[in-house]
Amino acid sequence: MPTSTRRGNGSVAEPVARSPIAPAGPTGTRGAWEVSSAHSKAALRLADMTALSKVLVRGAPGEVAPLLCEHLRARREDGSLIVGTGPDSWLVLAPTGRSDAVSEMIASRLRGCTSLVTVIDVTHGSVVLRLSGESARRALEKVCAIDLSDRATPNGSSFRSRVAAVVSTVVRDDVDGDPSYLIVSDRSSGQFLFDALADAGQEFGIGLTGYPEQEI
Amino acid sequence: MIRIGGRVVAGPTRRIGPQPGEVIDRSRSLTFYWNGASRAAYDGDTISSALAAAGDRVLSRSFKYHRPRGILTATFHDPGCLVQVDDEPNVRASHRQVAAGMDVRALHSWPSLRFDVGAANQAVGPFLSAGFYYKTFIKPQRLWPAYERVLQRFAAGGRVSASSPHGDYDKRFAHPDVLVAGGGPAGMAAAIAAAEAGAEVMLVEEEHELGGHLRYGDEVALSRLQELRAAVAAHEQIEVLTNSAVTGRYDDNWVAVLQRSMPHVTERLVKARAKSVVVAVGLIERPYVFEGNDLPGVMLSSAVSRLVNLYAVRPGERAVVFTGNQSGEAAAAALERAGAEVAAVVDARRGGALLRARGRGGVTEVETGDGARVECDLLVTAAGWTAPTLLVNMTGVKPRYCDRAARFVPGDDLPSDVFATGGLVGDGDVDLLVEHGRATGLRAARRALETLDGHGPLTALPRLEPADHPALFRSRTHGFVDLSEDVSSKDLVSAAQEGYDSVELVKRYTTATMGPSQGKLETINTVAVLAESTGRTVAETGTTVWRPPHVPISLGALAGRNLEPVRYSPMQPWHEAVRARPIVAGQWIRPEHYGDPASEVRNVRENVGLIDVTPLGKLDLRGPDVPRLLNFLYVNKWSKLDIGSVRYGVMCGEDGVVADDGVTGHLGPDHYFMSTTSSGASAIYEWIENWLQTTFTDWSVHVTEMTSAFASINVAGPNSRELLRRLVDDVDLGPDAFKYMQVRQGTIAGVANCLMWRIGFTGELSYEVHVPAAFGLYVWEALMAAGADLGVGPFGLEAQRIMRLEKGHFIVGQDTDGLTQAFTAGLDWLVKLDKEDFAGRPELVWQSERSDELRLVGLQPTDPTVVPPEASQIVSGANEIEGRVTSSRFSPTLGRSICLGIVSADLAHAGTVVTVKQPDGTRVTARVMEEHAHFDPAGERLRG
Amino acid sequence: MIRIPCPHCGPRNSDEFSYIGEEKRRPGPDTSPTEWRTYLYSKSNPAGWTTEQWFHAAGCGKFIVAERHTVTNEVRATRPKPRFERSNAGAEAGGGSS
Repeated sequence: MPTSTRRGNGSVAEPVARSPIAPAGPTGTRGAWEVSSAHSKAALRLADMTALSKVLVRGAPGEVAPLLCEHLRARREDGSLIVGTGPDSWLVLAPTGRSDAVSEMIASRLRGCTSLVTVIDVTHGSVVLRLSGESARRALEKVCAIDLSDRATPNGSSFRSRVAAVVSTVVRDDVDGDPSYLIVSDRSSGQFLFDALADAGQEFGIGLTGYPEQEI
Repeated sequence: MIRIGGRVVAGPTRRIGPQPGEVIDRSRSLTFYWNGASRAAYDGDTISSALAAAGDRVLSRSFKYHRPRGILTATFHDPGCLVQVDDEPNVRASHRQVAAGMDVRALHSWPSLRFDVGAANQAVGPFLSAGFYYKTFIKPQRLWPAYERVLQRFAAGGRVSASSPHGDYDKRFAHPDVLVAGGGPAGMAAAIAAAEAGAEVMLVEEEHELGGHLRYGDEVALSRLQELRAAVAAHEQIEVLTNSAVTGRYDDNWVAVLQRSMPHVTERLVKARAKSVVVAVGLIERPYVFEGNDLPGVMLSSAVSRLVNLYAVRPGERAVVFTGNQSGEAAAAALERAGAEVAAVVDARRGGALLRARGRGGVTEVETGDGARVECDLLVTAAGWTAPTLLVNMTGVKPRYCDRAARFVPGDDLPSDVFATGGLVGDGDVDLLVEHGRATGLRAARRALETLDGHGPLTALPRLEPADHPALFRSRTHGFVDLSEDVSSKDLVSAAQEGYDSVELVKRYTTATMGPSQGKLETINTVAVLAESTGRTVAETGTTVWRPPHVPISLGALAGRNLEPVRYSPMQPWHEAVRARPIVAGQWIRPEHYGDPASEVRNVRENVGLIDVTPLGKLDLRGPDVPRLLNFLYVNKWSKLDIGSVRYGVMCGEDGVVADDGVTGHLGPDHYFMSTTSSGASAIYEWIENWLQTTFTDWSVHVTEMTSAFASINVAGPNSRELLRRLVDDVDLGPDAFKYMQVRQGTIAGVANCLMWRIGFTGELSYEVHVPAAFGLYVWEALMAAGADLGVGPFGLEAQRIMRLEKGHFIVGQDTDGLTQAFTAGLDWLVKLDKEDFAGRPELVWQSERSDELRLVGLQPTDPTVVPPEASQIVSGANEIEGRVTSSRFSPTLGRSICLGIVSADLAHAGTVVTVKQPDGTRVTARVMEEHAHFDPAGERLRG
Repeated sequence: MIRIPCPHCGPRNSDEFSYIGEEKRRPGPDTSPTEWRTYLYSKSNPAGWTTEQWFHAAGCGKFIVAERHTVTNEVRATRPKPRFERSNAGAEAGGGSS
């Protein structure tokens, strides 16, 4: 049975936040989160990044996009990644435990907007996976119908489509020149998606790796 | 010298000396097994080339008459060369390469290839004529299973062992600029030109290597082949898929490519979205129809060239060549080079004709049109070509018959993103084919890249046209038209005489073109024979519609990986650890129960239980116009809902039919939180977005799906307040501070931002708590730990269903159906027709004016031990259906059976006794109740 | 599988969309049964060009309008919602023309 740290008689220690994905290998903690501390040196790697803070922003395209990011693009800013997930919606990914700070920052930036603006912490509603390595594109195109060529999906672009039949936001977010994709999907099918990607990557020798020091 | 006679014998090797274009690796010999006997082969051999080298002539027994069959085409489509390889049935022996140790066996031969009892069918041949199956196995119907067993035995397509390892299949998407189907000279040239113009190219070839007919051509062809292959290899932008086939071209150049024998997967289906498609699939040599045309030893000229040039096999010792084109001459030359004697060349262009081939188990003698008889063991026919036009015709273009070339050509007016080149278009020497291919490839690239300044000037498309060819379809004698299905030209003639005079009818009646070759070899001859017997021309007769797939695809490749997502709640590890019985509810996997639903019910009624209700749909609604939106979506009123309160609501579609129900709470200024049913969650979200995006476009509302963001736990039972109190510090849970139908936000077990609603589907004092999902398991475990002395235990979906039925709460989709309007569901108390507008209002106004409507009622069987199954009919004395039982359970709380049911209006009065007809036909009676609720109708427990 | 040029996301496979139906205007609250049921159940279903709604469910989550030829499946234009309040909705064929 999964264990939370308990003290006697119902009183409990610090709450533990968990990803829906069973951690690969040994675990550690990052803030309240239990994370995998595995380390893979495989040429293709899959990591569970669910502990990231996630903030959803809704607003009028004309007012908000210039202040955040265009649809189908992603922009890095102050240690966070702002992703245009629709003409009137944005997702901000930030290090774990930062959702309140990010929400406040975004809300204050959008204070001048005349149309309705909504900023919601959706950290708990999604999983985030990172698929990295030379063959990341070839593995991903086994389960995603979008053209992933550099021409159609260059670094810094994003799209929303199905990955392994699960509706997901995909961000091409290379790390030090190494091709890499962030995949954000509904939390409840997170384990399914993780397993499907691990399966798609098998022919490329995929390795499961842990939550990185450099979160985003 | 091999003995040519009634018996099939393996003779001395027919392998000849090294050939310039051979694809076998003589340094790597291997052994495999043919019907249990060992055979030698070289790496690169196909199964059939290795068997031919070993002198085996009979590779199969035919489908219907069990006639001996051998190599005809030496290609994938070879009709007589389907074999069983290990556990795999229906392997194409003229395509599949041998591997060491392979266990290859013949199909369709019972009890053995040499002595086939089915061959007796030949003697009764007339009884197996056109439409035989339709006419014979009709009556009596009780014998159908017996017929089926007999037919299966004779027509068996191989054996599949239940213990066969499951193949490894998957899929892949691709987005080439230019997809070239066919890797012959024109296809390779097109790919090269497209790549030079900057396009990303996918080049797909059915054979194991690029080259098309150049591979088995002369020295000139071979040297051009090397040049073209080198140029293809030099382009990184060209992805070459060999042993792969384009199986179909669909709308917007959605192209299915079957990729075989890769290192990691058995077969892979590539779904390619190509900007341009170049069809360069070449030509298929067609068989000639004459008496004895299916005997082993009758081969197409290209088969002979393949066997000699690619596999260094002498296909026979003494040959007669019947030819109408250069391919026959090339075969004759190849035979002489291979050391065979060409006894006669019968040239159709000079009036030569072929009458029949004779022999048992193989050709021994050929009779030509002038009556001459020639002894031989090989009869080569070069009767012409078929253009496999499927991929082009899938664009909607109709094939056109070219009379002087005696073949169908693809047709005109191709879409602007589909191009054809090579033999499909016309005949020419290698230079012309390459030139045409290059020009076509460049055009395809420019179309794909939407640029006019591609590489080099756009040269004119060279003229490439079908060459004249004699119309050779059938001799004066009758023979087989479809060797896969054993359909003869005589069958076609009699089908026509019986009135099946359209080509599509003849096809279905005789099954011609419906076998494994799927018309590639048979269609044109079928059309020609039909034309002849109906007195029409081939062009007038027309061709059958070519349908995908171009080559067979295994079901494994079509299925690929199982990509059906499943959804789990954050508490799933706990449920699994205590071995909850799972139930599939849509995509969700949920606990149905934890062993004994009845005791779970009792525990909730007496102590406190926890149920995981995470799949409940949850929507965060923000903005000043949310009250307007709620007023429109629900049938009841929402204008006045205080902050901190929740309300139950029902939504109807525009047809007035109950669509969903749930509770919505007012959390703060301009901030609401809606719950929907689990099954309705995504549909309701889409429905709301539809109204906001298309109709109420000026309303300021943002809807955010939060179903998975919260782990939802219903804490139910008399001890629920005490249990929560132990873990909640910042919310006053007192009965006066936190009343029924109220909502609070607070901290549970140290987890902030939890929502607590005081509502109760089970009818008990209960709190539905929504916990930030990542902490869901933690909070669940904390509740379990904190409530041990209060008797806390889990309960599943089944216990919840029992308790809600005790309380008479309906479930949308269970107690209602696609026709149940709000008043039928008993929602008179809820529907507010005085609202100006809401979804479905007009229909509900009209429904309220009718009096003869069905009603949902509570029912209790007269015999309290009888639980009529759900969907049992409620019938009148005259046995007319008056309704049905929608839900039924045995209530552990009341110790009796209880139901909800829909009945006609005149039965819907309390006290009426109705007759319930159970699925097994037995009848029981049940009493219509005062209320839906069977237990605590006043709701005192709930409000306590 | 046809492609639908989403005005927000670009050309996408049609399996990312759910088909909603022909463009229709919802009658007002004082409607008649005939008018209402025509709105609910009647489709013109022409063999030719039709203006219809699609929902980009597995994409941007937006409802869009597409002009599609029901015989050839050609999609000649798409445009974003909302459009009812636009004065020249019929003339607009911008956005994601295919």
